Amino acid sequence: MTCAEFQKVLPYIIDGGGSEEEQEHLQTCHICSDLVADLRYIAECAKLLVPMEDPSPRVWNNIEKSVEREGLAKPARRSS
Amino acid sequence: MTGNTAEAEDLTQEAFLQLYRKIATFRGESAFSTWLHRLSVNVVLMHLRKKGLPEVSLEESMEPQQEDGPRKDVGTRDNVLAGSIDRVNLERAVESLPPGYRIIFVLHDVEGYEHNEIAEMMGCSIGNSKSQLHKARMKLRDLLKQSKAEKASARR
Repeated sequence: MTCAEFQKVLPYIIDGGGSEEEQEHLQTCHICSDLVADLRYIAECAKLLVPMEDPSPRVWNNIEKSVEREGLAKPARRSS
Repeated sequence: MTGNTAEAEDLTQEAFLQLYRKIATFRGESAFSTWLHRLSVNVVLMHLRKKGLPEVSLEESMEPQQEDGPRKDVGTRDNVLAGSIDRVNLERAVESLPPGYRIIFVLHDVEGYEHNEIAEMMGCSIGNSKSQLHKARMKLRDLLKQSKAEKASARR
């Protein structure tokens, strides 16, 4: 199997699967194995980008005002 | 998905307003979270259209692109990325992705959606979702290697 053939199917097997031939190519070709290692490392590092902050209070205030303005919410029930 | 905090906050507002306006149309055919996420993705796509930015191109190109050729990076093992990525570099690289690649990367690798969920949200096939994600990761790889090389030469 050539690198071109392997890299053509790579999008569909990188997260699991792949034929015996494809697995063998990955184990024997350092160019493709380095490529796969890089792509998996990038995917793993993506977790660094999970938002650590909630949206600012401004966002929720604006949503509340817009909902009231458009009459989208029922008025709050008052307890007797 | 937008690559910009202020824009993200504005679109968060818009997405929640759309939710309030359209909640009665939710039929329970998918999980509520999937429906809400699809609504949010549509808000982002509408915003990109208004800005005149290229949308997600979810159709495979009929002509192979230059970047689609097999990678034959003349490799020394020093050239691999392992251990070299930090949040700042990655954030910068993701911000410079074309919007279509950025959306798929964020949905799958950052937020953890599966390809079948992304396909439903984006109205594309699972194959297209996998292909676009691959292109996004390949583009990020190029950007991060470039950044790594620039830092290395600056140190000399």
